Amino acid sequence: MDGKLEFKWFSEISTMTDGDYDYLIKLLALGDSGVGKTTFLYRYTDNKFNPKFITTVGIDFREKRVVYSGSGPNGTTGKPFKVHLQLWDTAGQERFRSLTTAFFRDAMGFLLMFDLTSQQSFLNVRNWMSQLQANAYCENPDIVLIGNKADLSDQREVQEKQAKELADKYGIPYFETSAATGLDVDKAVITLLDLIMKRMEQCVDKTASETANGGGSGKLDSVQAPEKKCAC
Amino acid sequence: MSQGHELINLAFLTDQEHDLILGVLRRDEELRKKEEMRIRKLKMELQDIRKKGAKRGSRNYSQKACARCQNALGPFSFGAGQCPVCSHQVCQNCRVTTPKGSWKCTVCMKELDLKKATGDWFFDQQINRFTNASGFDLVRKSLKRKPQPNKRETTTEVQQQQQAQNKQSASSSPRAKHRALKTKNVLFENSEGAEQQKSDTESAESHQSTPVFKRRGSLGDAAVPQSIPVNLNPEAFTMSTTTSKSHQAVKSEDSPSKKRSEEPADDTLFTKNPKTIALSDYARPKSVIDLRSEVPQIEENTMGDRSKSMPGLDRDLDEEEEDIDSLVEIHRKSAVRSNSIHSRASSGTLGSMMSIYSEAGDYGNVEVTGEIVFSMSYDTNAQTLCIFIKECHNLAYADEVKKRCNPYVKAYLLPEKSRQSKKKTVVRSKTVNPVYHDKIVYNISQSQLIMRTLQLSVWHYDRFGRNVFLGEVELSLDTWNFKDTAEECLPLHSKASSQSSAYSHYKGELVISLKYVPQSKLQPQKSKSKKDEGGELHVLIKEARGLTAVKAGETSDSFVKGYLLPDRSKKTKKKSPVIKKTLNPYYDHTFVYTGVSFDELKDLCLELTVWDREAMSSNHFLGGIRLGLGTGMNKGQHVTWMDSKGEEVSLWKKMMQFPDSWAEGTLLLRSTMGLVK
Repeated sequence: MDGKLEFKWFSEISTMTDGDYDYLIKLLALGDSGVGKTTFLYRYTDNKFNPKFITTVGIDFREKRVVYSGSGPNGTTGKPFKVHLQLWDTAGQERFRSLTTAFFRDAMGFLLMFDLTSQQSFLNVRNWMSQLQANAYCENPDIVLIGNKADLSDQREVQEKQAKELADKYGIPYFETSAATGLDVDKAVITLLDLIMKRMEQCVDKTASETANGGGSGKLDSVQAPEKKCAC
Repeated sequence: MSQGHELINLAFLTDQEHDLILGVLRRDEELRKKEEMRIRKLKMELQDIRKKGAKRGSRNYSQKACARCQNALGPFSFGAGQCPVCSHQVCQNCRVTTPKGSWKCTVCMKELDLKKATGDWFFDQQINRFTNASGFDLVRKSLKRKPQPNKRETTTEVQQQQQAQNKQSASSSPRAKHRALKTKNVLFENSEGAEQQKSDTESAESHQSTPVFKRRGSLGDAAVPQSIPVNLNPEAFTMSTTTSKSHQAVKSEDSPSKKRSEEPADDTLFTKNPKTIALSDYARPKSVIDLRSEVPQIEENTMGDRSKSMPGLDRDLDEEEEDIDSLVEIHRKSAVRSNSIHSRASSGTLGSMMSIYSEAGDYGNVEVTGEIVFSMSYDTNAQTLCIFIKECHNLAYADEVKKRCNPYVKAYLLPEKSRQSKKKTVVRSKTVNPVYHDKIVYNISQSQLIMRTLQLSVWHYDRFGRNVFLGEVELSLDTWNFKDTAEECLPLHSKASSQSSAYSHYKGELVISLKYVPQSKLQPQKSKSKKDEGGELHVLIKEARGLTAVKAGETSDSFVKGYLLPDRSKKTKKKSPVIKKTLNPYYDHTFVYTGVSFDELKDLCLELTVWDREAMSSNHFLGGIRLGLGTGMNKGQHVTWMDSKGEEVSLWKKMMQFPDSWAEGTLLLRSTMGLVK
């Protein structure tokens, strides 16, 4: 998953308030309290770092407009799209759990974060995964696993190999990031966005082919259109 | 799925947290609105492209013409071919090649693009898992549960204060003692907000085990029988006097501690036995009128129940939005908590209440007089409808005695009654001859426009009470001459005279696909009996959108029923599965009618009706359509059911023109299956 990303990014668009965008993509960051979800998102949207820890009250979101150009079949860049990102930030604290999980279902992709300096936060990744499976819009949503605070190498408790193995087990990409230095923050978000855009294409292609094939085979007494499964 | 209908218990939130989260939701809502506008625009674009194509029932269509641009396709024309999605013949120019090398026709491509751009690809899956609302709605409702009973308490409170005033000795009543006692039991934490919230959930849990009553609450249920007659009494609507009275009451009663003590106690009573309250408190004969006009939630409750028979009541979204808007507003404004109760009672609660009223058909006791002067123009290039509201003459007073009248004009492009469709002019104070010179602008394509009806209604704006209906006009835009931009001066009429057409109430829409499979195309493998000779009619019920909830503020468990008229027997009756707890059900179910010959199609009529399933009582009609040629005739005889119109006819024609390919359409649901005017 560390392979070269096959898309290009252009500068962000400054005016964000208009409705002039092609896609609204909703991402959500989750993970234990204090792993750095808020600062991560702050770094991503504003490219700034706030070392203060202010616990998130329930939920919040940030927005960012980016230009995405998917790749053509032979490396040609496709038509660039304007993507409006809505990045939901959730409280990691247990007491807000019922509230935050309710928002899982509205998100199209997830930034599952833990703190590289906290073994416990890494262990809880499994719990978060099962929360996601139960509460996201489908059972296998697009997720990237993010080990944050990579800059604090002297306090590191989770080894890259460990985390990588877990990510592989789930079949999701893994990134080590630092909201403090900005390391791979963009890359993690972009990778997730790319996954979502691909899934979107697949879903739509699938519906198209369903419609096309559905034409000839109407022979059953009650043709139940193929049920829409999430795994597309 | 079980998460679907449960509300989250958010009682643990402190006041401040509650406000913060509301603020976040508010921001999210802005984004949603923007998104909704964008999607609406996209969908209209698609609609316009579709309409250009021959696919839409032009009679001179031939297989030798491109289904999109209608240019002739020569026998050897280069590049003509069948679109793999819709199976129509299209020419080279009307196809779009995908990056992968395959191609689709322009309309199919646009449809697929739309599925991506609107996020439908996502929502389709989401709805499979969470048949109910989005997480946003869930949280919003859960949060709202806190202020909702606030209204209740507030009003009961006001009542009690009046009671107290009347009796001059509140504390001597045994009830008050009971209340005071209750409060000492430290049921609640520091802040009032938390109290209300907690009590809210308590009451919710105890007597709202069925989600059906969620919003309107059992109070209404219990109180309805007693309150209806009083509510209908027009005298109860003379707001202004009673309002001011109640405000005096509120002001004079300025010991917050007492209020506080009354409040939660009432709640516990509530919880224990709502009926007792309803009987003992509300059915009490003393100062009935005062009470009624001060107890909006009862009216709301009655309305909730009445919505069954009141097709105009599909207003929940709007009202909720307004609710939350005013709530947020109030939260911002009120630094002092106890004050906010009053402001809520005055502007918040009554403000949005009146809006429900305005749609429900109770219009106070004003005799409509006067006229409205306006002009209208349509810019075909910009696709904007501009209505210039000039002035009104000789309006009725909202309050004849006090000569109160602060009129404004509200516009809707019916049948849509969404927030987008609702526009208002400014309010002119203290006049029955208001001059507005105000412009109302709608962005709408011409093809959409001719299907709409412009409704202009005049209202008296009351800051503290209920807005009062002063009259309205309705103009069907299909016959309107937009070249004539001269001023119109039309007399206002009352509501009763205008509720006629089957489409005057927006009941949502149904998305379906039709396909006729001729016998020749049917595989012979199935050795059917002879009586099944003929082709097959396939009806794919995809989804419905924007259905009306039977109980306002709720969802529906809906299904679709189909008949192939004239045969209204079991033989042609088909039903889809029930899709629970959503107003935007995704059915994805196909009805197949066998043994239908092509010639018969012109004499048949497919009736599809959407129903709310009620387990313990009869199902409730939510809307329907009839698909056919709409000739009014069946085999030479006049029949009432051959009454399809517009899109209903064109979809049927489209299906007949292209055997063996799907004809998809989005159809407005009729609010009644009786005769279309």
